[in-house]
Amino acid sequence: MFDLYRRLSGALGRSSGNDNASGNEARTDGGVVSDRSVPEPGSESDPGPLARVGAAVDRRLGSDFLESSLFWLPPFLLIALFVYGAIIWNLLISLTDYRGFANAPDYGNLDFEMYTRALADPGFIDAAVNTLILLVAFTGATLAVGLLLAILIDRGIRFENAFRTIYLLPMSLSFVVTAQFWLWMYNFNNGIVNLLLGTVGIGPISFLGDQTIVLWAVIFALMWQFSGYAMVVYLAGLRAIPTEHYEAAQVDGASTLKMYWRVIIPQLKGATISAAVVLMVFGMKAFDFLYSLVGGYRPPNGADILATKMVREAYANLNWAYGAAIAIVLFGMALAVIGPYLVYEYRRNNL
Amino acid sequence: MSEVSLDNVTKRFDSTVAVNDVSIDIDDGEVMGIVGPSGCGKTTALRLVAGFETVSEGTVRYDGEDVTHIPPENRNVGLVFQSYALFNNMTVLQNVTFGPKMHDVGKEERRDRACELLELLDIEELADRNPKTLSGGQQQRVGLARALAIEPHILLLDEPMTGLDAKLKQTLRQELGQLLDDLEVTTLYVTHDQEQAMSMCDRIAVMNDGHLEQIGTPSEIYEQPANEFVAGFIGTANLLEVTIEDEQVSFGFTELDAPGPQRVDGTATVMIRPDDVRVGEGPVSVEITNLFYQGEHIQATGLLPDGQKLTLRLDRSLGDVTTGDSLSIAFDPDDIHVIESTR
Repeated sequence: MFDLYRRLSGALGRSSGNDNASGNEARTDGGVVSDRSVPEPGSESDPGPLARVGAAVDRRLGSDFLESSLFWLPPFLLIALFVYGAIIWNLLISLTDYRGFANAPDYGNLDFEMYTRALADPGFIDAAVNTLILLVAFTGATLAVGLLLAILIDRGIRFENAFRTIYLLPMSLSFVVTAQFWLWMYNFNNGIVNLLLGTVGIGPISFLGDQTIVLWAVIFALMWQFSGYAMVVYLAGLRAIPTEHYEAAQVDGASTLKMYWRVIIPQLKGATISAAVVLMVFGMKAFDFLYSLVGGYRPPNGADILATKMVREAYANLNWAYGAAIAIVLFGMALAVIGPYLVYEYRRNNL
Repeated sequence: MSEVSLDNVTKRFDSTVAVNDVSIDIDDGEVMGIVGPSGCGKTTALRLVAGFETVSEGTVRYDGEDVTHIPPENRNVGLVFQSYALFNNMTVLQNVTFGPKMHDVGKEERRDRACELLELLDIEELADRNPKTLSGGQQQRVGLARALAIEPHILLLDEPMTGLDAKLKQTLRQELGQLLDDLEVTTLYVTHDQEQAMSMCDRIAVMNDGHLEQIGTPSEIYEQPANEFVAGFIGTANLLEVTIEDEQVSFGFTELDAPGPQRVDGTATVMIRPDDVRVGEGPVSVEITNLFYQGEHIQATGLLPDGQKLTLRLDRSLGDVTTGDSLSIAFDPDDIHVIESTR
């Protein structure tokens, strides 16, 4: 936070160090002149006790710390309370046996019972495995389709802009719309997917009823929605690679496939990492999609993920502490995805 | 036999003719330069040789074999790009071994070949570096090593010195020229810098507006330009209107014997290079109007008695010359070149 403040004040043209020495020098901050600096020797005015405390704080924490706090303190407090405070509170609740609003949580007896209960709960293990499968398969497939679309569009096809918009359009839809749309598509009797498969003599298949298939049907629907996003990220990456790199690979004797595999795709590492992180976060938030698909907290058998189980345990089964423990596991998974990304970006000096 | 040839090659982009009926034969081991102003079609010509552009008319041959419709990956050409286009996801060594790897050369052999090339180009210590961390001059050498690693039919160089500073350009020009001579690899060198072409190439093709204006050795191009464009593009040229009659060249203010038998009779244009004008003696007086100090010499513009402008090269030993001074000049019949073509 202080680092952010320092950078912000740097951007505003203020030195972050003690600039008492600069006295009355011309400033570039639009004429805002601090009156909290130490008075000039021989100055007549008495700064008063409050101003002295302010000056002391400024000396310790950088100039204009108090003045600028008007701007950063309210959001800082709100975020601290409602985001990080809530996370810590959630962690505390997960260590209690809290079961609904009737009684207040008992913070006097904290233990890891909910976590041991989770490990012994086959429903939790299933949901955790499904979440991992969804994360990996959805992210992998979406990246692959996005990359393929980006390469096809990048090869100078006609109506490129129209195709780009068409592929990106599903991303602008809400999960609720996508879920309803795929509910129709996957309908056992009249769904387009089954009708199409019927023409080649396959099916009908109960995409949402068969628990060995349903997770993959959900992954496919999510991939349909987000491959446009991956395509745009990859397209930006491809456009940043000079044409000469393609030509250099060609004169070196590389076939089109080898050119992409050995020269072009490795140069898309940055695009892959940023797209993968965003997609994984979307994947973890697939609760909305599954909720809309069935209109309730219980997704089709075989498609339960940690997000749906967490909400179901808390709101339907009133196991608040257990729901909180599942939330903490999900939070840990999100950190495991985002943490390495932040380290990667930090090492590249992008943070 | 010519190693590489363009036979009556034309390239059209929609209604624009980028290369118009150009024929160039490049001998085995020869360094051929293509020079010309921006947009003259020289880079398109190089891309036709590499196979990046399809020929509209005509034929491209390697060793007599028609390769017009063979794609670039099957032509076995080495190309050094203006931007070097080194692959940043690979080390220098991997960049150099990439081509041989694509040509299914064994691991040991391609590594040996790459190391040999890096040593030849005096950059063996850069083998494990990432190309991003190299200077422009080092990148150029790596680009050259990569192009040579596939033992190409022809080495193509597309303005490889653009973007380097003047001093480095001068050093690399000598080194690259020497290297190309030593390697005896057939080379096509495209540049807009006529000085580079003159010092590095065995022969030069001058292009303008898609046409081939002249092809010849640097001295032929410089001393006997085929037309006014070539005379003006290569070096500095004085082009003077004259009348030729009975092997006599009449300037209006002086007369000279024609340099050998002439095909032209009547009005013509002659070219005199500034360094061929003898200053300080002679029958013609020139009034100096401009002086440009250029370090090694002083370039001056003067007015001839008939009002035509003449560019001169003054030796610094001539002492103080100021604008408005009159200087006596002379030129020999051997130093004037009658331009026969009007193009």
